Amino acid sequence: MKRTFLPLAAALLISVAVTVTAGAAPTATPGVTARTILLEGTFPLSGPASGYAPIPVAMKAFFSYANAQGGVNHRQIVFKYSDDGFNPAQTVQLTHQFVEQDHAFALVGGLGTAPQTAVRQYLNDNKVPQLFVSTGATTFDRDYTTYPWTLGWQPDYEAEGAIYGKYVVKNFASAKLGVLYQNDDYGNDYLRGLRAGLASHQTQIVDAEPYDLSATTPPAVQVAKLKASGADTFVIFATPTPTIQAYVISTKLGWHPAHIITNSVSATDPFLTIATNAGSDNTNGTLTVNYLLDPSNPIYNKQPGMILFRKLMAKYDPKGNANDPLNMYGFAKAWTTVQVLKAAGTNLTRAGLMKVARSMAFTQKLKNANPFVLPGVDIHTKGNYQFPISQVLLVQYKNNTFQPIGKLINGRGA
Amino acid sequence: MKRLQGPIGSAALMAPVLLAPFVFSHYRLYQLGLVAVYLVALLGLDMLTGFTGQISLGHGAFMGIGAYTTTILVVDHGWRDLWTIPVAGLVAGGCGLLFGLPATRFAGPYLALATFAIPLSFIGILKRFPHFTGGNVGKNLPQLHAEFGLGINPSVWFYVVAWAVALVMLPLAYVIVRGRFGRALRAVRDSEIASTAYGVSTAAIKAAAFGISAFYCGIAGGLFAIGITYVSPDTFPIALSILLLTGIVIGGAGSLYGMVFGAVFVEFIQISWSPALLEQISRIHHIDTRAPGSGLVVYGLILLAVLYVAPAGIAGLARRLRTVLLNRTYSSYSHRTNPQVTSKERN
Repeated sequence: MKRTFLPLAAALLISVAVTVTAGAAPTATPGVTARTILLEGTFPLSGPASGYAPIPVAMKAFFSYANAQGGVNHRQIVFKYSDDGFNPAQTVQLTHQFVEQDHAFALVGGLGTAPQTAVRQYLNDNKVPQLFVSTGATTFDRDYTTYPWTLGWQPDYEAEGAIYGKYVVKNFASAKLGVLYQNDDYGNDYLRGLRAGLASHQTQIVDAEPYDLSATTPPAVQVAKLKASGADTFVIFATPTPTIQAYVISTKLGWHPAHIITNSVSATDPFLTIATNAGSDNTNGTLTVNYLLDPSNPIYNKQPGMILFRKLMAKYDPKGNANDPLNMYGFAKAWTTVQVLKAAGTNLTRAGLMKVARSMAFTQKLKNANPFVLPGVDIHTKGNYQFPISQVLLVQYKNNTFQPIGKLINGRGA
Repeated sequence: MKRLQGPIGSAALMAPVLLAPFVFSHYRLYQLGLVAVYLVALLGLDMLTGFTGQISLGHGAFMGIGAYTTTILVVDHGWRDLWTIPVAGLVAGGCGLLFGLPATRFAGPYLALATFAIPLSFIGILKRFPHFTGGNVGKNLPQLHAEFGLGINPSVWFYVVAWAVALVMLPLAYVIVRGRFGRALRAVRDSEIASTAYGVSTAAIKAAAFGISAFYCGIAGGLFAIGITYVSPDTFPIALSILLLTGIVIGGAGSLYGMVFGAVFVEFIQISWSPALLEQISRIHHIDTRAPGSGLVVYGLILLAVLYVAPAGIAGLARRLRTVLLNRTYSSYSHRTNPQVTSKERN
């Protein structure tokens, strides 16, 4: 008996010791004190999607700036983020921690389609705002009646796919499309959008090959099949790592498609530079869309938003890469967050915050547009229209910079 | 006396388990509930790896089978969540037995490699039948609500349910490994040839051990789904299987109570300890902890540190400490209590 009891007792003592950390007492509005507002979010700082890791750091940098400017209605923003490794089971546990232990006021910018789907029901059950999720999966904007506490931010993937479809019909009428897409909500949204945009020209898609994010090998088989299908236009609907691999593989296979269209999430200068350095010779000419100021293109250098961005990056995120659009993404999202918090007033409540977020209007016309998005891109929601950003600019990668083609397009046609 | 170890061990565990709800916040209780879930899974894997000597790199998938069984029954067939737990165990156990029957032809590293195929194909199957499993999108479960109209917080109730199950499964594990069957398990581990010579059917024993361990993991998986309220292929990565194996090594393979430590390790290492240590490290100048994967490096460091201090797991460390303490007490008549006894024989 002694044999079992002693170690058992020790086991429990140690387990107790390691788990003791007092939870904060809930206040009237959780996460809001006279001086602070607590915001939290989960991001993949490790694992297959860790390429997105700069986003929360940039958000925090902008919040530090906002705090230095006096905060939001005399309250300082406290932004905490945790690594979920893109594993929804981790996201769920961390989100429980945010809600039940830290008593966060709202969750902001949580990244990933599957991880954010995993916690959506829980957050809505607990009436905790799940604001500006970092995914363009259409469901986060479209299904606002079922999930009133959830709201997206960036242009949704379906709308972006449709823009490529329409562009192909207009400009590459005889092109044969070979599509590589991630086999989940993310990739399927894009593919559905592309088909909708192609409309009666869907037969231009000669092959569409899915791959799994959790796959341990690069999508070599899929790219080889696309090449063999006779496609002359390579459409990549993938997350950053597989996108880079797809570029390198197609080069190694000697496939030089006439056009490459890559989804905006992955077509950024740093990712394409990695692809080039890894041996790809076909990143030049890549078509994608953009809605943020592009730090790698000097034509935006005189924009006030760009000047502010560079200044704040140097001050609050000196280790970050000021040419990485992901940092711009974090800034633009944090800016939006600060604005809705301000508009929600001194008497801050979760319901009040959602009300403001459901009728945003940050537009060029009102002269209150987000300084970090392209001039003319509006952020607005109203009534049954809950797609905060839907205008984008088609851009093409030439000599290591994305050059605009034409004018802003509204993917939602509204 | 030895027969009573299981029940007494459970009773000793009972007191802190009963006290915890009065001490901890809701979130900590939720985490401790997940410790109970991992405890059940580790007990299962320990019976296979620690007691029978068969290494499995695939038991995360049996958790997955249990979790999907629960989810599909609750979401698509309207079952009450708690009733699905035994079914989850039986389905996973059945799959384990089916896998165990042919797999017992393999031994050692070959078996380990064969088990590696389970999580790989499991993820593939989930994606192949999306109308049934929800595919890549996964499935959401409703949050667990207290039975009998009790107004208990869902996190607290999850803790209660998970530990109620764990405190049944722990003594049950003692019963399994103590008797005639348990002796056969250890005989297979120590020498297959010798045990065959004594009339033990090694293939049957190994297959049974597979079935039992998968049953335990299935039960854990059902609870896991109820606690996490979401299943998708991403929820059961191959890393989960390896994490479970890490858990039994840390706890001390071949010891049942050691699995309590293992479960605490599995739950807290990723969510709490690694990030906390990483934050400390990030305060040191010139170390950029933002580099992708730096969390994993810290995880590895913690693992190495634990194994350095406790090469035979926490249970082994406890044994060693006891030996040291006993030596001090009785050093007048004995230099060492039992120097020739190895850790394996003690089981």
